[in-house]
Amino acid sequence: MSLARVNWREIVARFGLVMALVALVIVLSTLSDRFLTTSNIINVLRQISINAIIAAGMTVVIIGRGIDLSVGSLLALTGVVGAGLAVGGLPAGFAILAALALGTALGTFNGAFVAYAGIAPFIVTLAGLTIFRGAALAFTDGRPISGLPPLFRTIGYGDFLGLPIPVWIMLGFLILTHVILRYTALGRAVYAIGGNEEAARLSGIPVRRVILFTFAYSGMAAALASMVLTGRLNSAQPSAGVMFELDAIAAVVVGGTSLFGGRGGVFGTLIGALIIGVINNGMNLLNVPSFYQQIVKGGVILGALLIERLVATRRT
Amino acid sequence: MALLDMTGIHKRFGQVSALADVDFDLEAGEVHALVGENGAGKSTLMKVLAGVQRADSGTMTLAGSVVRFGSVNEAQAHGVVMVYQELALVPSLSVAENLFLGKLPKVVGYGALFERARRLLTRVELEVDPGTEVARLSIGEKQLVEIARALAREGRILVLDEPTAALSATESDRLFAIIDKVKQGGVAVVYISHRLEEVFRIADRVTVLRDGERVGTRTVADTSADEIVQLMVGKSVRHHERTPRTTERTLGTFEASGPGLASMSISLRAGEIVGLAGVIGSGRERILPTLFGLGGSARWAGESVRGPREAIRRGIVLVPSDRKTQGLVVELSVEENVSLATLSRLQRFGFMDRKREREQTRRWIDRLALRPPDPRKSVRELSGGNQQKVVIAKALATEPEVLLLDEPTRGVDVGARAELYDVIDDLSQRGLGLVLSSSDSEELLRLSDRILVFRGGRVTAELLPPFAYEEVVAHVTGARQLA
Ligand SMILES: Nc1ncnc2c1ncn2[C@@H]1O[C@H](COP(=O)(O)OP(=O)(O)OP(=O)(O)O)[C@@H](O)[C@H]1O
Ligand SMILES: [Mg+2]
Repeated sequence: MSLARVNWREIVARFGLVMALVALVIVLSTLSDRFLTTSNIINVLRQISINAIIAAGMTVVIIGRGIDLSVGSLLALTGVVGAGLAVGGLPAGFAILAALALGTALGTFNGAFVAYAGIAPFIVTLAGLTIFRGAALAFTDGRPISGLPPLFRTIGYGDFLGLPIPVWIMLGFLILTHVILRYTALGRAVYAIGGNEEAARLSGIPVRRVILFTFAYSGMAAALASMVLTGRLNSAQPSAGVMFELDAIAAVVVGGTSLFGGRGGVFGTLIGALIIGVINNGMNLLNVPSFYQQIVKGGVILGALLIERLVATRRT
Repeated sequence: MALLDMTGIHKRFGQVSALADVDFDLEAGEVHALVGENGAGKSTLMKVLAGVQRADSGTMTLAGSVVRFGSVNEAQAHGVVMVYQELALVPSLSVAENLFLGKLPKVVGYGALFERARRLLTRVELEVDPGTEVARLSIGEKQLVEIARALAREGRILVLDEPTAALSATESDRLFAIIDKVKQGGVAVVYISHRLEEVFRIADRVTVLRDGERVGTRTVADTSADEIVQLMVGKSVRHHERTPRTTERTLGTFEASGPGLASMSISLRAGEIVGLAGVIGSGRERILPTLFGLGGSARWAGESVRGPREAIRRGIVLVPSDRKTQGLVVELSVEENVSLATLSRLQRFGFMDRKREREQTRRWIDRLALRPPDPRKSVRELSGGNQQKVVIAKALATEPEVLLLDEPTRGVDVGARAELYDVIDDLSQRGLGLVLSSSDSEELLRLSDRILVFRGGRVTAELLPPFAYEEVVAHVTGARQLA
């Protein structure tokens, strides 16, 4: 057969992301000998954990052809409410569960407007972005909440089997998301709706409920990320998470999930988050001023999408 | 000298050789039919000509000079215009905007645009308002809009890929008259169809493809339908004979009404196949979606059907007319599409039972003879007829009691059509009730136990066997009314 003719498109489409990450790692490890050390790698993993958790939820929404801009504000609101309950005397474990439940509820609120009122996800979650932020500021009067019970510190700084707890939480949540997307009927329905909502509806799939789920799941993801962040900061800030939605969306699209829905997965999102995280880390090690870091990061996102487009266009 | 000469065209998709060393030529002012089984390479060959796809090798000579089209626009600039099998209209735009898409003036004056649109629509005798959103049109109407759009482009080569697949006899006749006219004007027409009687009616020459190779070109006057079928399938195809198995057991009665539909009731017995006939705009295209709970109001066995989900739960399933927009998720694989309507049955505690899923997929792939028989193949990469089989497999997998078939063989070749007819027959033997809406009168005659004729949104005649083709057509066109 045609062994001689290597199909580069196919290879780039399938392994391009991982190759880009590997290339990046090689370049950075030659530029800085502090880069490829165990402690720095663990450092990178911990730094990306919050973004990767949010981005995993975002992946589910985007595969279903939605978008969730409210995650940063939702993170702030669930953080201050969870911390407030804990400081107010609720056992820390319950406070955390309450924060997760609140995140799921707020996501459901977004999803209800999208699925049942038929309002565009962009608009609904843009409204959510300002409403949740306002609520977080109102709840705390604009002040951070500190004096948290020790469980939060454990979440933020604890170790388990040599890896930080945030990294374990991230890995667990990524695996959970992967399993839902790939192995459950619900996940199949999300892909179907993102690919062709009409065909999904005519096949008897409960389209509205599935869309509701995707937003609820994203809300829960943001709340989970919020608990990690609260642990890291050992306080809850009503101003936390500003622009986090953009980092999450960047990880998703750099990871190869199509903004048009129906295609992609959470493995790509992890790679996307890693690529962004490695670039941030590398530039810090190389003492690149933060203004330039932003420019580079934006450039990488554009570059990744450009490559994806070039690979995708010949698939008529 | 020929207007167009394609020689030695090769095209591979991964492992699949879609075209192998194909020659094809066109004279100005001829109608050249292109036939072959599903997946033979007809659409691919014409997409190469129209600049949609690039050949791996081969040359094209157009009016004496060698050409190589990198894009649709380039091909159009050379006068090659194509109407695709999978319709390519923008659903959210109006008919008028679709007609002039890509050719819109910088500032759109709606008055003038609508006026030009109206003139074009008159050419294909389609009576819709140019402001109508395309999403609201029936499949046959969309087909006519596509044809009107192609006519507006005024090329010297017009490629029609299964243009009559969703048209009834009357509209097809109209199209043939139009083809005749453009042909007189010196335009070369490529006509792809699975309906051989059309080929013999309008074509001057016919080229047969099989498995990506050209197996012959004949002058229509010197060949026969039998010879063409022989060339297409490499063997002769038996004719389908149906033994009616209608029982006395009534399954239930549909009651329906809705926009453009008078209220009506259709009762269905176990094993019965009720055929629905009617031209575009007769209400025939609206009835099956209504029965499935998609607009209008419908009741089955006394209880209302409020949506597809409920319909499927009650054992009613629809094979929709437009596979691209309503039937398939082309991003997904064959298997994922076949499972789509049976997700709840293929899961255990929410998890997909992959083994059962694979079994189910294999069963339908075998039963419907899907080519290639690969459950993991992306549906996007299947030929039109094979895509249709996937839609049918998905519906049948729900093991329905009532099957609503809306243009079920649109784009399906003779051989596969016979297979599908066998499947339909078999389903009726097993006691299903079937409602078959089709623009193909032959198909209705062959399969139906009775035929309901639609005109002006109501049933105007009920025909019982033995049917006569002329009689059905007479009723459909309104030449004969119910006494
Ligand atoms: N984009 C694609 N990617 C991969 N394979 C393709 C693609 N398009 C077509 N094929 C394959 O090429 C072969 C020819 O397909 P083509 O659509 O030309 O058939 P056709 O003769 O038009 O069939 P039909 O009558 O069903 O429309 C088929 O095996 C099909 O699966
Ligand atoms: Mg075709």
